[in-house]
Parts: sequence; structure tokens; C-alpha cells
Amino acid sequence: MNRPRLLIANRGEIAARIIRACRDLGVSPVAVFSDADRTSLHVRLADAAVHIGPPPARESYLVPEKLIAAAKKTGATFIHPGYGFLAENAAFAQMVIDAGLVWVGPSPGSISAMGSKTASRAKVMAAGVPIVPGMTTPAKDAAEVVAFGEKNGYPLLLKAAAGGGGKGMRVVRSAGEVPAAFARAQSEAKSYFADPAVYAELFVEKSRHVEIQVLGDQTGRIIALGERECSLQRRHQKVLEECPSAAVTPELRARMEKVAVAAARAVDYVSAGTVEFLLAKDGRFFFLEMNTRIQVEHPVTEVVYGVDLVAEMIRIARGEPMSIEMRLEPRGHALQCRIYAEDPARGFAPSPGKIRRLRRPQGPGVRVDSGVEEGDVVPLDYDAMLAKFVIWGKDRDEAIRRARRALGEARVEGIETTIPFFLAMLEDPEFLANDVSTQFLDGWTYQAATETEEQQSAALVAGALDAFERAQGSRPAASGGAGTAGLSPWRTARPTFGVRS
Amino acid sequence: MKLRARLPASGPKGDVRLEVAHGAPSFRVQLDGRTLAGEAAVFRPGIWSLVFEDGRQIEVSLEPASDGALRVQFGSAILTFDLQDELTALALVSSGRGKTKRADVVAAAMPGRVLKLMVAPGDVVASGQPILVLEAMKMENEVKAPREGVVESVVVAAGQAVSAGEILIRLKSDG
Repeated sequence: MNRPRLLIANRGEIAARIIRACRDLGVSPVAVFSDADRTSLHVRLADAAVHIGPPPARESYLVPEKLIAAAKKTGATFIHPGYGFLAENAAFAQMVIDAGLVWVGPSPGSISAMGSKTASRAKVMAAGVPIVPGMTTPAKDAAEVVAFGEKNGYPLLLKAAAGGGGKGMRVVRSAGEVPAAFARAQSEAKSYFADPAVYAELFVEKSRHVEIQVLGDQTGRIIALGERECSLQRRHQKVLEECPSAAVTPELRARMEKVAVAAARAVDYVSAGTVEFLLAKDGRFFFLEMNTRIQVEHPVTEVVYGVDLVAEMIRIARGEPMSIEMRLEPRGHALQCRIYAEDPARGFAPSPGKIRRLRRPQGPGVRVDSGVEEGDVVPLDYDAMLAKFVIWGKDRDEAIRRARRALGEARVEGIETTIPFFLAMLEDPEFLANDVSTQFLDGWTYQAATETEEQQSAALVAGALDAFERAQGSRPAASGGAGTAGLSPWRTARPTFGVRS
Repeated sequence: MKLRARLPASGPKGDVRLEVAHGAPSFRVQLDGRTLAGEAAVFRPGIWSLVFEDGRQIEVSLEPASDGALRVQFGSAILTFDLQDELTALALVSSGRGKTKRADVVAAAMPGRVLKLMVAPGDVVASGQPILVLEAMKMENEVKAPREGVVESVVVAAGQAVSAGEILIRLKSDG
């Protein structure tokens, strides 16, 4: 086989996304899987697949030796880490390089410089990037956090030093809350990142989370591709992202891009990365952290700027210059809804299980990035994100109307999802007026849409008809069954397509 | 066929009586005395398309919920209700089953692992008080007491894996 092979050290939606970029570039994708993922979509889409252990991530997706051995076994010369798992682990990146493989991402030096959020602050400050007051080393104990609070005031945010994606983060409003929150944050940091280190920073209230996408190649060129608005967060986990941000003027965008590129340049950044900022109501912005990887929300930038960031990462890893030659301007507006296997009516409790029915939304302006198909079982062992609905419109209003259409068209049965939550949120007057902050969802209570009188009577009639059919024994009903017997008309019609007699 | 549906308490109605005169494809159903008729077709088991006499079309998906109720999904809303054959419904009422009672048990709402227990037998708990931490899908979820009361027994141990619906803690019955 002459085509270069790329191993994806990940699973689910992002593994499928990277496989698609591989196909577009003529690269052969290799999947890895734990026992829980043997039949997962990312495995079935790949040219080769390697079993790497039992379901717990620390025994499979988080074991560098197994991933490198899988690449060697299948003749893969590239490793793309995706997001999460080992994506921001400099030691793993170094092991990949030491094994003679190509790491599709920034250098281990860039990852470690930005990976320690405390050290990264010092680094970017020196490059003239504004930052929020925060600890420059992980807290040794709760008392150190209390001392920081005394000096800088409350509320504080406790964050995992090795973290990202909102795992292990806690808000602390007074010194009294510190010990319990510190212990919980450490415990979550340890279970998710295998590193209990936690630090504190000042919590700027009513701020927005706005981030700049950057891309650097091995010629030393670093560009910015506008911002993403990620203020809608629940438990510090992004829920809905937009590009561009309605709070960012062209003038502010230019300033933020300049600062983001300076931050990336401070660590000689190569590949795709994201510089996250807090945007205060008064227009000041502060560096939060740099994510040295592809992000979950990258598609909103892709559809607004007309780029393929994952393909660019692979090109750049091959030593080619990025294919983006001139400065790009945003076109239209995009939203991304993260569809989780969670039940919004029950406090977003996880809802693992088998997807009995899946209808994906389609049509103008709709892109669905997903790691599941109908019939798949959503395992309990990993993040509960099923799919990302990425919606584009010529402006924010059109994108929102199309998002409502797409969410209404989608059907997921067998498990609960956050689709009803998005349908309710896309009607919120403050959201529609773009009057949001990172606290917006904290003070927002989900209320299920109430069915109309007509819907209610239709539901009752359908329920009665279904029960009637079951009582007659004529057809399997809601409880499932074998479905239609015999050949479908499609099957019998098939020979007439494309067959020359 | 006569049926009785119990809608959620928050709904505008309580019990609804249904009578199926004709089933699919040409249906005629009495809903609290009102006649609804049209064409009904099954797309796949449990997925119905109803076209009423006035031309209105609605796609409805039915699936049994975990507690035996019927869960119905339309485009933007989900409705869950109990639907029983009138004879079964009568049998349940006369035997005293089917009545709601203050919860004496706390069960796992989802599969997961018990990370931490915060109460012991004999503890007095307030409604909404965190009683244990359940880890599922990498999130720590506080499980809260459904009502005030006294802990009778703790059924699970820290570190134990539990499945959805498994009883975690029993509260002393208050009556």
C-alpha cells in the first residue's frame, strides 16, 4: 500500500471527522478501539483498526504504548490525537516523534508551554497578551487558594492544571467553600486527566467566552481565522457555539486576532490551535488559555471561513505550507449545537443506551458531524456527545431559523438527547437578542415545550391505535419487532439501476 | 376497544377516555366523546403518520418508557402518558395498586459508580440534601434526598457499580 496511513488516537465523532479529512487528502485512516467500541462508527469507517484494550480510557485510549504499537502494526506514519484523551499530552507527542512517527499537531514544546496553564500565562504576558489575575503555579493545598482569594477577592474559579473542556472546574464564592470544592476539583482532575493539580483564578462575572482560531505552518507563518462565541456553557462545558460573535466588531476582531497570533508566536506554534479569551462587557479581553489541538467547535469556523482545519493540520504535518493564501473574511453566520445523550427533563442525567431510531437533519445550511448511527449503543464509558449540528445562514437570524428547522426535523429514539433543550433555548428572547454571558445558562431553567392540543390528541389517538393493533395481533407495535417481512421494493427495484442489459 | 389514558398532572386534563371504533388504516377514535377520524399508517413499528380528515398530518413516535408508561415524541415536544385497557385500569384501582405514594427508596437515575456516600442509617435528611455522589460519563452527579426523612438503610457501598433503577438508599416509611 503506497498511500500514507494516519492513525487516529481517538474515538467517536472526532475520529469520524478526521477519517473524512484523510479521505479527502488520499490518506488511509486507521482506527483504534476499546472493547466498548468494537462496532462503533469510527471503526467501521476506517481502512484498518486495532484493538487497544478494555473500555476504561486509562486502559485503552490513554495508553501511549498501545497507540504507538497500533501505528507500527498497521504501517501508519502519522498520529492525529483529536481532542480530549492525549491530545494535549506533550509526553505522548514526544513519544510519537521518538518512535519515528509524525505527530499531527503542535510540537511537544508548544504543548507543554501552553499545557501548563500557569506557566503559559507568564509566557504570553511577556509577549504583551493581557491576562486575568490567576495563580502561576498549581495550588499545593486549599489554604493557598484561600490566600489567593484574600488577595484578589471572590468569586474564584478552580481549574484542573492539565485540563480542558470544563472537566474538574468549580466556582468558589467564599473562603468557606474552598476546602470542599478544592477536594472535588482535584478528584475530577485526577480521574479525567490523571493529574490532580488544580489552580485558582479570578472569575470575571458576566463576561463572554470568545476564542480565536489560529493556524501555523512549518514555514513560520501564523494566521488567525476569526473568533468563535462560546459563552453558552453549562457546568463550564460549551453547549452552543457561534461564528462570528455578534459582540465582536471588525475592529475588535482585528485586535483580538493580533493578540492571539502574538500568543501563538510566543511558543512558535505550528498546526491548528485556539486562543481563548474572556471578553468583558466593556470590551476589554483577557487571555484565558491556549488549546493546543483541534477543538470540538472547529466546524463553525470551517463553514464561515470556507476552510478544512483538520485537512490543514495534516498538510502542515506533512511539511507543506497551509493552503490558505490570503486573508479570509467571515461569510454569514454559523451555530453549533452539541447533541448529548442526556435528558434535559431530568437535570441532564446521562442517557446511555441503544439508538433505536435516528433521523439526521438535512437540507440547506446543515452539516452534521456525528460518531453514531441508528442501531449504535452509546457507551457509558466516554463523553456523552452524540453529534454536532452545525448550521449556516447568511446572517444570525437565518442561522437560528435553520437551526430550529434542523432540530425539529431530527429524531433520536431509544435514548434521551438535548435536542428539546436547544429547541427551547433558541426561543429565548435574551439569546435571540444576543444578550448573553458565560453565566447565561446558570440562571436558565429548561422547560420542556408544551405540546399543543392538536399534538396531544394526535398522540392519544396514535397510542390508542397502536394498542388496538397489538390487541388484534396484526402487527408488532411500539415495543419493537421484526419489521416488514420479505423484500422491500427497493431491493426488487435495484437491478434496474445502472445495469446495462 | 376502550382505553383510559392518564396524562401528566401538569396537563390540562387528567384522565382521558378513548374508544377505538375502527383501527388503521381508516381510523375512527372517540376521545372524551369527540370523534377523530382519518388515515393512519405505520412507517415502522411504533412510528405512525396520521392524516386527519381536514388534511392535517402529524408524525408520532411511540416508545415504551422505562416505567411502563408510553413516551410519545413529535417534532418539538415529548409527551409521556399511561395508557391502559379499561379493564386493566379498573383491576389496578380495585387492588390498590397504581396509587402514588411518598418515595421510600432512592434509586439510581442512570447507570454509574458510587463515588461517595454522605449519609448513614439513622441520619435525618432534609429534602434536596445531597446523599451520595454517583459518577457517570465522567461527571460527578450529586444524588439528593427526594423528601425529608430518616435513612433506614444504605444499600450500596462506595466504589460499587450500579445500573439504572437500582436502589441506593432506603428511607424510613412515614406511614
